[in-house]
Amino acid sequence: MRSYLPIARGTFMVGLVYRFGFLFTILGNIVYLSVAYYLWRSIYRYSDVIRGLTFNETFLYVGLGSAVFILLKTYADWYIHYEIREGLIANYLIKPIDFQLYNLSANFGSLLMNLLAITLPTAIMPGLVFKVTISPGAGLFLFPISLLLAFLISFSIDYFIGLMGFYSESVWGLSTTKEIIVTVFSGALIPLQFFPEAIQKVLYWLPFQAIYHTPLMMLTRPQQGLDIFLPMMAVQLAWAVILFVAARLFYNQAIKVLRIAGG
Amino acid sequence: MRSFAEYLRLYVIIETQYIKARMQYRADFIISSIGMFFSSLATLGVFWVILGTVPSLAGWSLMEMIFIYAFYMIAISPMQILFDHAWQIRFHIQQGTFLKYYFRPLNMMFYYMSEMFDLKGLTQFFVGLALLIYASIQLNLDWTFARVLLLVITVFSAALVQISIVVAASCAAFWVLDSYPVLGLAWKLREFSPYPMSIFDGAFRFAFTYVIPIGFVAFYPSQLFLRPEEVSPLIYFSPLIGVGLFAITYWIWTLGVNSYTGTGS
Repeated sequence: MRSYLPIARGTFMVGLVYRFGFLFTILGNIVYLSVAYYLWRSIYRYSDVIRGLTFNETFLYVGLGSAVFILLKTYADWYIHYEIREGLIANYLIKPIDFQLYNLSANFGSLLMNLLAITLPTAIMPGLVFKVTISPGAGLFLFPISLLLAFLISFSIDYFIGLMGFYSESVWGLSTTKEIIVTVFSGALIPLQFFPEAIQKVLYWLPFQAIYHTPLMMLTRPQQGLDIFLPMMAVQLAWAVILFVAARLFYNQAIKVLRIAGG
Repeated sequence: MRSFAEYLRLYVIIETQYIKARMQYRADFIISSIGMFFSSLATLGVFWVILGTVPSLAGWSLMEMIFIYAFYMIAISPMQILFDHAWQIRFHIQQGTFLKYYFRPLNMMFYYMSEMFDLKGLTQFFVGLALLIYASIQLNLDWTFARVLLLVITVFSAALVQISIVVAASCAAFWVLDSYPVLGLAWKLREFSPYPMSIFDGAFRFAFTYVIPIGFVAFYPSQLFLRPEEVSPLIYFSPLIGVGLFAITYWIWTLGVNSYTGTGS
């Protein structure tokens, strides 16, 4: 633990260098939120409730979704793939640190940076500008834990794809495909309730819904009971453990094919 | 000054070599094409899901949205295929490798952009074309010769608008070093161009029509084919808008290129 905390602090500090970038990311989010507002307003023009969700709930879901999206998108796949391709991974292999935990803590550091710099400013937008309110409830207290589990799942998937760099020169195609599958099937763009019933059933069995749908439902409908939230979190926990361990086993296999020609 | 024909000949020679080199990585090409296929259909998937719950989006049916989306995919393909190197400007500037583009007796923008020919962008183009044909059949659109010509002209103008927005954003690298956030924003805006502009009001509709005219990338030109009676007269100026925007972008590029001083190494 003592050796991994400074790593997280390091990436947190690196984030501070790119203040200019935050400005544009926030601006991008504001534009996205506004477009989403107009889009959903036109969808809700003729009925107040669609698939059991009111406009207020849906917009809160989509708006906070875009704020949370920045947190859970780790880019670990791109970095790890780059480090493998360039042979930089050797720098980690000679140190007494665990590669997976190293990357996890590095990403956790940037998560904290993004939380303060982008997510919080974006998250207050729906309330301030669009007058959307969150109702109080148990979900609000469970949200941070759920978000942490979602981060673990998202990281494990990205880490797994990054490790594909041991076998493949190309990362663009794999990462892009993964990104699209995760964003669409996790409910990051539209609440899962909007999908056709048959597809919904399949989506609830996949790990992706545990990344966005679960934590976002806690913010959109926090008044629901623990009997609904706790099973959802149990599913999250199960996926987090399964994917984390699977990625670890994959690393142990993949590292064997690594050949680095000198320095 | 070299002639246009000469540049065209050069372009074919450069890209032939580039494609030969890329074809060594066949798996990369296949995986990237699959990635492109999914990523280009993501927003369409959103429309499909939404229009499964409500009958229309601001009065536009699913099939009409597919047509607009197909137009969008075709219109953004030239940027993807021919101008993909724009994404790398920031790396070249940070690493100092941008200097080499000053040393050839060629137009710099031509030389720089010719270094990349994005094969996976072809996937986007052909998926777009297939969807356009599919939607046209479903909507019973009548494709006369004049209309095909109109399609070519509007796609050309729309492509120029899209190219201009992205290249201009990438030029930010000449002044701010890390242009990724600016480019990322321009890239994100692109995704809103198939939305019916009538869902926006006030400032946003104004901005998407006159300031960063993404409305001209897909929605406005598609209206010409779907509901000609509803178009605003502005659409007939779209070739002018495309060429004008590109001229501005070229001017920004020239300013940037002239102000770049290298990294000193």
